[in-house]
Amino acid sequence: MAQYSAQLDGVFVALADPTRRAVIRRLGQAPTSVGELAREFPMTLPSFLKHVRTLEANGLIRTTKSGRVRTCVLDRQRLALVEDWLAEQRRVWAERTDRLEQFVTDRTEGEQ
Amino acid sequence: MNPDLDLTLQRVIRAPRAVVWRAWTDPSQLEQWWVPAPAVARVDRLEAQPGGAFVTRISDDGVEFGPHMDAAFLVVDDRERLVFTNAVDSRWRPTRPDPIAMVAEIVLRDHPDGTDYRVVVRHGDPAARARHEELGFFDGWGAVTGQLAALVEGAAVR
Repeated sequence: MAQYSAQLDGVFVALADPTRRAVIRRLGQAPTSVGELAREFPMTLPSFLKHVRTLEANGLIRTTKSGRVRTCVLDRQRLALVEDWLAEQRRVWAERTDRLEQFVTDRTEGEQ
Repeated sequence: MNPDLDLTLQRVIRAPRAVVWRAWTDPSQLEQWWVPAPAVARVDRLEAQPGGAFVTRISDDGVEFGPHMDAAFLVVDDRERLVFTNAVDSRWRPTRPDPIAMVAEIVLRDHPDGTDYRVVVRHGDPAARARHEELGFFDGWGAVTGQLAALVEGAAVR
C-alpha cells in the first residue's frame, strides 16, 4: 500500500505541469523521438529534457535508445493508477453506505 | 463540485432521518457498520459538533487495533448535515493525509420512503501536494483526468 501511494504521488507530481501533460497527450497518439518532441515545445532543450526525465522517473513514460535516437513511449498502466484511486474511493463510500442502509433498516424493522 | 475530483452518492434509505443520524453519531452504532466485516471498528472519539474530534481505529482480529480515521468535524447540523475532514486531525493539527486530503459531507433530508441520503466527498487538488516552483502553472486537474480517461479508453479500443 505504501509503495502504491508513492507511485500515485509520483504520477500526480508528473502531471502537475502543462508541458508534461502535453507530452503525455502527444505520446498518446504514437511513440515519438525526444528530438521530434522537443521541437514542438517552445523551450530550450535542457529544460525540455528535464520534463522528460521527470516523466520517466515517475514511470509515466519509458524511453529506449536506438543508435542516436531516443524514443519516448507512454506507459498507460501508470496512468491508470489515478483512475484506480478515484474508483477505489467511490467503492469505499458506496460500500459504507450499503452497510449503513442495512444497519438502519434492520433496526427500523426490529422496532416495528 | 468538481466531477473529476469529487465523488457524490445519493440513496433513499428506508428508515427515518433520526435513525440514520443516530447510526452516524452514536459510537456504539457507528462501530457496527463503519468498516467491512470481518474487520472490526472501534470509535475512540465522536464529538458531533463543529471542531469536534472524529477518531476511529480498525482491527482485523478484534484484538489489535490500528489507526483508521483521525479527523475533525467542520459542520454539524442536528439530523441534517455532517461535514468532516482529515486535512486537520482531531487535535486541529494540520495533516498531510495519504495520498490526498478529503472533506466528506453527509446530508440527510426527509423522503416519503424514509431518508434522502447524500454524500459528497471532495478531494484535495493533487497538484497541491506537488506545489513546487519548478512545476509552474497548473491549469486544472479536471481537464487532465478527462484526457487520461480518453487516453486509457482509446488504448482499450485499439
